[in-house]
Amino acid sequence: MPNIRQASAILAASLGATLLLAGCAAGGSGTVAQSSAPTVLKWGFSLPTSWDPVTSSTGNDINTISLVYSSLTQLDSKGNAEPALAEKWSYNTPGTAITFTLRPNLKFSDGTPLDAAAVRASLERGKTQPNSLLTDQLSTIKSITVVDPRTVTLNLQQADYQVPDLLAGKTGEIVNPAAFKTAADAAKIPTDASGAGPFKFKSFVPESNAVLVKNPYYWDAKDIHIDELDLSVAPDPSTIIAAVQTGALDVASLPATSIAAAKAAGLKVDVVDSLTVSQVDVNSGLAPLTNAKVVEALKYAVNRQQLLKVANAGIGSVVYQPFPKGYVGFDPSLATKFAYDPAKAKSLLADAGFKPGQLKITLTALSYTQNVAELVQAQLKDVGVESTIQVVPVGSSTWQQAVYLNRTAQFALDGTVGRESPVQLLGVVYGPTGLMNTSRTASPDFLAALDKVRQTPLDSPDYQPLLWKAVEIGVSEDPSFSLYSTPRIDVRSPKVSALPHFLSQFRWEGVTVSGN
Amino acid sequence: MFSRALRSPLGAVSAVVIAIVVVVAIFGPVLAPYDPLKQDVAHLLAAPSAAHWLGTDYLGRDVLSRLLAGAPLSLLSAAEVVAIGMLLGVIPGLLSVYLGRVFEWVSLRVVDALITLPFLVFAIATTALLGNSLGPAMLVVGVLIAPGFFRVTRTAALAAATAPYVEAAQLVGASPWWVLRTHLLGKVAPAVAVSAASALGAALVIVSSLTFLGIGVQPPAPTWGGMLSDDLGYLFQQSYEPVFPAVLIIVTVGAFNGLADALRDASGTEARARSAGRRSRIIATKESSRVPA
Amino acid sequence: MTTLTSPGFIGQLTASRSRRRFVRGLKGATSWALRMLAIVVPVFLFATFVTYSLGAISGHSPAALKLGDSATPQAVAALNAQYGLDKPLGARYLDWLGALLHGDLGTSWFNGLPIAPQLVERLGISLSIAGFALVIGVTGGFALGLLATVKRGTLIDRLVTGFASLIATIPPFVASIGLILVFCVTLRWLPSAGYVSPTVNFGQWLTLITLPAIALSLDTVAEIARQLRAGLVSAYDENYVTGAVVRGFSDRRVLFSHVLRNGSGPAIAVIGMRAPALLGGAVVTESIFGMEGFGRFGSESALRGDVPTVQAVLVVGIVLVLAFNLLVNGLLTRLVPASRRGI
Repeated sequence: MPNIRQASAILAASLGATLLLAGCAAGGSGTVAQSSAPTVLKWGFSLPTSWDPVTSSTGNDINTISLVYSSLTQLDSKGNAEPALAEKWSYNTPGTAITFTLRPNLKFSDGTPLDAAAVRASLERGKTQPNSLLTDQLSTIKSITVVDPRTVTLNLQQADYQVPDLLAGKTGEIVNPAAFKTAADAAKIPTDASGAGPFKFKSFVPESNAVLVKNPYYWDAKDIHIDELDLSVAPDPSTIIAAVQTGALDVASLPATSIAAAKAAGLKVDVVDSLTVSQVDVNSGLAPLTNAKVVEALKYAVNRQQLLKVANAGIGSVVYQPFPKGYVGFDPSLATKFAYDPAKAKSLLADAGFKPGQLKITLTALSYTQNVAELVQAQLKDVGVESTIQVVPVGSSTWQQAVYLNRTAQFALDGTVGRESPVQLLGVVYGPTGLMNTSRTASPDFLAALDKVRQTPLDSPDYQPLLWKAVEIGVSEDPSFSLYSTPRIDVRSPKVSALPHFLSQFRWEGVTVSGN
Repeated sequence: MFSRALRSPLGAVSAVVIAIVVVVAIFGPVLAPYDPLKQDVAHLLAAPSAAHWLGTDYLGRDVLSRLLAGAPLSLLSAAEVVAIGMLLGVIPGLLSVYLGRVFEWVSLRVVDALITLPFLVFAIATTALLGNSLGPAMLVVGVLIAPGFFRVTRTAALAAATAPYVEAAQLVGASPWWVLRTHLLGKVAPAVAVSAASALGAALVIVSSLTFLGIGVQPPAPTWGGMLSDDLGYLFQQSYEPVFPAVLIIVTVGAFNGLADALRDASGTEARARSAGRRSRIIATKESSRVPA
Repeated sequence: MTTLTSPGFIGQLTASRSRRRFVRGLKGATSWALRMLAIVVPVFLFATFVTYSLGAISGHSPAALKLGDSATPQAVAALNAQYGLDKPLGARYLDWLGALLHGDLGTSWFNGLPIAPQLVERLGISLSIAGFALVIGVTGGFALGLLATVKRGTLIDRLVTGFASLIATIPPFVASIGLILVFCVTLRWLPSAGYVSPTVNFGQWLTLITLPAIALSLDTVAEIARQLRAGLVSAYDENYVTGAVVRGFSDRRVLFSHVLRNGSGPAIAVIGMRAPALLGGAVVTESIFGMEGFGRFGSESALRGDVPTVQAVLVVGIVLVLAFNLLVNGLLTRLVPASRRGI
């Protein structure tokens, strides 16, 4: 069954996607309107693997943990960093240090001040806590200097202009230092968050639901019109529409195939651009994929348009690179890179010495992409490649084991919800230790190209061409290949106003609920 | 017993339905108008038409062909479950009556322990932990329904072993093999047959419940349970589509239950047999009542 | 036949010759308790050992769960040692059992939290559904069974029997979807997903658990109705009933004071046998109705490879089923005195 909720959860299992929206301008804490009954919004989604950004293990968690945390920066609807907790920032001339200026009078949800020292303590915990999953991303930071209570400088290992993007995500979410005075305290954060986000904890039942209430100290509290947000695990996708119809939920993710039915039922549907890109992780370390011609043939053998039609009712667009159209990293010259060409696939296979029916591979797919796997199987058969499908149930750790840890999967139907920095994403997809680069190969050319991007200011005219160069090398050289980008699809009750559009992250600024 | 059962209207109807299902299971793949795996992306989720009597599925495959082609695997997996359950239930059940008190005590406790396991959760947990494929799933469900067969066999064997005429036969020097063949098989076999019939229906429901939850599925091979769960993903586009596999499952399960009832009634004509039959009925329902609800 | 009406393993107590002699020798509540103990303890040990070994055989380790996207081979090995996974199976089972007897269900590999409080929360959901399903099953089953018995041999009897057979064949997930389509989507009478504790809002709790409970109860309704009818009809054939009828007792009195008391054994036994199926079977309805219950907790934990949680879920299930069986057996012994007599 196609299941966007689970889909995004799993896609994200590999990645840390982070896109924060910036509401704009001045800080100050709004006041909660207490005149009438509290405004409650019931959201059916998934719960984070941990409410601690330091130990959260899937990228999809950004949607839920950023309910209770804020970062120094946020990404705007195009994916560019803009002010959040920090009102401005600047690099030194060589690009090896970045200084952030915090908004005045920031407070955590418990009322303790959020100052430069708190920012340093929070980021350093991410670098040093033994079980931190952010160590890699934060390794670019060499040391942190508190200049004054509102000014903090990050000294970098080398010039790196991606830091404002990087910190817009989970990596940069600021945790209240009062919550991690001791290691024992820190161990409680995964179930009892303390941050400076739009909401704060009221109650939380692991794997079941969380009740969050508005945080009056949130820097952009005036844009939050929801007094209580009830987050629960969404029901089976076949009953999502019924759940919203009956008021069991107000907002939920919707399978693309159910859009018409949801509209017919009188519900509202939002189709929101996202950074989600589906891809096939090909492990060229496993025979017969050790043959480069075979891998190339597979890239031409897949009819992505058909996959998109079956997987997402045709909503989205075919891409041959890990970014959606319109995003800064999307290189237009790759628009038809591996366009469907079964004849070419056949001749490549013949060159590689395989007669039709001789090549046999295993496809690994999560149960919600079983339909896509069945279609890929038929398409491969058309070019003479036999395959069997290994289905991994959704939520199963088998996926992590087989695809990322032991890397025993030859051809895995995977995907990414994107990352806040394009350089970070390229590292994940094509880098030598990249999770989705199951072959674990990367050419010196690619690494050099990536380094150049990192050292180029984002507003430099060279930035985009250099980024495209790195994308082009990655797409051409890596055995893994992209399939299609898809938008996020949400269904909501008519009493809930439209959700703001932000690439790959739910934000609730400006959302109102009427007639509760 | 079988011929008597077939003379009752219930038995006759059930037998006819089962016969049709079995014929479909054997010849289904031949009868299918299309290749059940042949996809047609231009005609996804098409409504029933002259070309596709039951429409097409999410990959444009002919639903009728898939139902027909899915019959062997669906029924075979149910039969496999029942065969495993029978093997692991009937033999220890017989032995528990004849092998002495230690074996009796141990086998009873093992059976009791198996019965206390929360059925479906245990089946799912085991299958998921041991690697998600249909093989382990069948084995686990087979083990879990074995207590039903154990009970039925044991009760029938116990009744036979303690019957005065059997004790008399033993006294006059009948060999254990003779006793086993003549009396035991006569008593035990009908009871086991009744259980097997209802267990077949139960197994079909269990297997489809597991595949519904995504446990033990092996695409693209069609199974009724798998098709049903796939169709439910498209409930709002084609709300009638789940009806076809659902009706097939319900009718087949109903036929097996009906056959079990008819066999039970037929085995209970003579007084002693009736009480044994009633007894076995009560116990026979144990495994059908263990259908995950 | 009465012995066979005993539920679950308890039935075996009086089923064999050796048992019968044993039963005659021991009388009274203490001996009953002792006999129960002699059965319950080995059953518990065996069932828990099976459960525990399951985790060991699976070869899962906490690494994939704890380390998520950033596991390295060194970290995996260190974590395995930290969790004591290098000890032999027997020693681990005894450690685990010891902790269990002190009420410690262990810590989840997935979220690192103690399992017991998480389980209690979910058990409330499943017990609500399974308990309500049992109530529906018993009321519905007894009503249908009595109706069929009173009208035995008539069209109504055949209709009831046919209805029972029909609902027994509907898989619970089909029933769930059907109920949602009718009551939630078409009629809009009831919500289709979610759960609220009865202490928070009793009315809402009842509306939320009604449909899943109905879907789960169909089989039980059918089974109880069939068993009750069978038990009652055969009780009518017994001499003492014939005697009561001959003595001119009213139909009502015969039914309620003679027939029902003696003929309801099989139906009550069904209640005991249904416990594991109701508790375990709730997993399907829970996932369709979006409830984070006990069964869904167990199956999702299993899929995640969270072995300690799966073991805890199964053990709690086993304990509940054992306790429920004892309860039903006690009830049966009181209600149907004949069941004490053996065959």
